[in-house]
Amino acid sequence: MTSLLDIQNLKLNFKTVQGQVEVLHGIDININAGEKVALVGESGSGKSVTARIILGLLQELRQARISGEVYFDGRDINTMKPKDCAKLRGTAMSMIFQDPTSSLNPVITIGQQFTEVLRRRNNKLAQAICDEQATRMLNDVAIPDAQRVLNAYPFQLSGGMNQRVMIAMALANRPKLLLADEPGTALDVSVQAQTLTLMRELVNDYQTAVLLISHNLGVVREFADRVYVIYQGRIVEDGPTSALFANPKHAYTQALMNAVPRIVGTGLAKVPEVSDAFLAPRITHSDVT
Amino acid sequence: MSAVIRLLLRRLGISVIVLIGVSMLIFAIARVIPGDPARIALGPNAKAEQIASLRAQMHLDESLPVQYGHFLADLSRGDLGISLYTNRPVTKDIAQFLPATLELVFCAGIIMIMLGLPLGILAARYRGRWPDHLIRVLSLVTVSAPGFVWAVILMLLFAFYLPLFPIAGRLNDSFDIARVTGFLTIDTLLAGDFAAFTDALHHLVLPAIALSLSGIGQAARLTRANMVETYNKPYIEMAQAYGFFPSRIARIYAFKPSLIPSLTIIGLDFAAMLGNAFLVEAVFAWPGLSRYGVAVILRKDLNAIMGTVLIIAITFLIVNIIVDLLIAFLNPRIRHSARGSA
Ligand SMILES: Nc1ncnc2c1ncn2[C@@H]1O[C@H](COP(=O)(O)OP(=O)(O)OP(=O)(O)O)[C@@H](O)[C@H]1O
Ligand SMILES: [Mg+2]
Repeated sequence: MTSLLDIQNLKLNFKTVQGQVEVLHGIDININAGEKVALVGESGSGKSVTARIILGLLQELRQARISGEVYFDGRDINTMKPKDCAKLRGTAMSMIFQDPTSSLNPVITIGQQFTEVLRRRNNKLAQAICDEQATRMLNDVAIPDAQRVLNAYPFQLSGGMNQRVMIAMALANRPKLLLADEPGTALDVSVQAQTLTLMRELVNDYQTAVLLISHNLGVVREFADRVYVIYQGRIVEDGPTSALFANPKHAYTQALMNAVPRIVGTGLAKVPEVSDAFLAPRITHSDVT
Repeated sequence: MSAVIRLLLRRLGISVIVLIGVSMLIFAIARVIPGDPARIALGPNAKAEQIASLRAQMHLDESLPVQYGHFLADLSRGDLGISLYTNRPVTKDIAQFLPATLELVFCAGIIMIMLGLPLGILAARYRGRWPDHLIRVLSLVTVSAPGFVWAVILMLLFAFYLPLFPIAGRLNDSFDIARVTGFLTIDTLLAGDFAAFTDALHHLVLPAIALSLSGIGQAARLTRANMVETYNKPYIEMAQAYGFFPSRIARIYAFKPSLIPSLTIIGLDFAAMLGNAFLVEAVFAWPGLSRYGVAVILRKDLNAIMGTVLIIAITFLIVNIIVDLLIAFLNPRIRHSARGSA
């Protein structure tokens, strides 16, 4: 089976005033079509940069040096022309961000932003058809009064409402891969849980593959088929969710699980020792679940 | 829209208060500076009783508050008094000279916006790369000299050494255009005289550019600064993550939110052009309000000074109100403030 996303030995360096810093030290991630995969790790471990490399955004930053292969649908994002890569964004892959309200443009109506997203797939789409599709998508994310929402600006809607809008936009063009970078962690916990459930149902319906980036092991356990644990720019452990949760082998994963954060975000345990020996063994659980 | 109307009414109310304040201030200052207006107007050979009768006619013998009362009473009838310099009603004088100045300032303002904003957008879109550096240098150069210096430089370069443009005036004497609005570019078109229109435009180019140059630089820098800040916002990353075209992200997704904080200052720059226009007009012998203004100040022509200052203050306030309305129009939070959070 060929995978939808196949990342091999991905390294990332940033040129800073102090010199080069390596942020990713050669990571491998694999996602099959329709599969829900989680990437967990503490703050600064390199989760968001990984997502931005998959989108091809970091490649355009001059300070970033990237090596390794990022095959999406059989084509290497890293060697692709920026223009070709931009064609994939918003169509074959899309992204959901942490804070829905600040991720929507404050001076453009939801309807206009939705139209723009829909026209990524077909830029000649008539306004009426855009409105109709947007309405249908909003109904799918349990927004009954779609017309009011389409005419509104983000500041007029609640955070949970904006999060539903984000989910609807992200899935409107039926992407093959959805990147969700700590989706809704800016929202209150119950709203976050609600919208995540919604997202899970939709991606199951649409057979969309997901890379869910999260701090929250509870969320990961409920959402993902498979988990990658990232620690300081290295994948230290991965495997099917149930196997990994049943028997976490790596010291860092164990520390993570012992410190399941009640409050979303920070609060992960520091692992006592950081040595090459500690980082070296990558533990992969077998696929037997 | 009711929020916008409320805003408009509030701004109009404030404007009236400002105008009363300005008029009192100028009224007092004009009368405190030394020199007897009646004596200056009548010349050195005037007899004492002539001067006395003119002073009485102008209420100059009464106390300042009483004089101000007379002024307000006249003003309420739309009468700004007679100019001792031109011997005509001040309102007539202003109606004659103001359009030339406004035409110049409007053109300069349009040039400032049409060039300044796009340059700022371009610089922000290519921030840190060569277009940005180039625009930064250009902006610095234009901002470094005031309008009248640019007027002299442009005149020397493009009217004197390279006689591409006329050196002075608004229109060639050979044209005779009926006066309707006082804006020559409009009046020539109304008259259907295309040659005169081109000539008027031709005369307008150098003074308008000279007046707008520093504003262009300022608008470009301001736009760039606000946009670069906007580029760090999550909604820009979202637009990029959805593969919107970079030029579209620049022109709409980054520019629109950045325009709101820029507009107030651009409006002030625009209004400040009115002051700078005085000097640019002097350089290009532009028959606008400046020559009139300077002449009446030197002659201590009280009515004309009041009229000139008031009309400039009113223009200033109108520009400010327009800017506020534009901001309200662009910022949905203000437009919809009736519905909740401000
Ligand atoms: N543009 C950049 N220039 C230099 N260093 C960067 C840049 N972007 C990210 N980094 C560094 O790369 C590392 C990984 O960042 P990243 O944003 O991927 O962390 P993260 O795992 O998403 O953390 P969080 O959970 O806080 O979002 C961090 O140490 C960060 O400082
Ligand atoms: Mg992150």
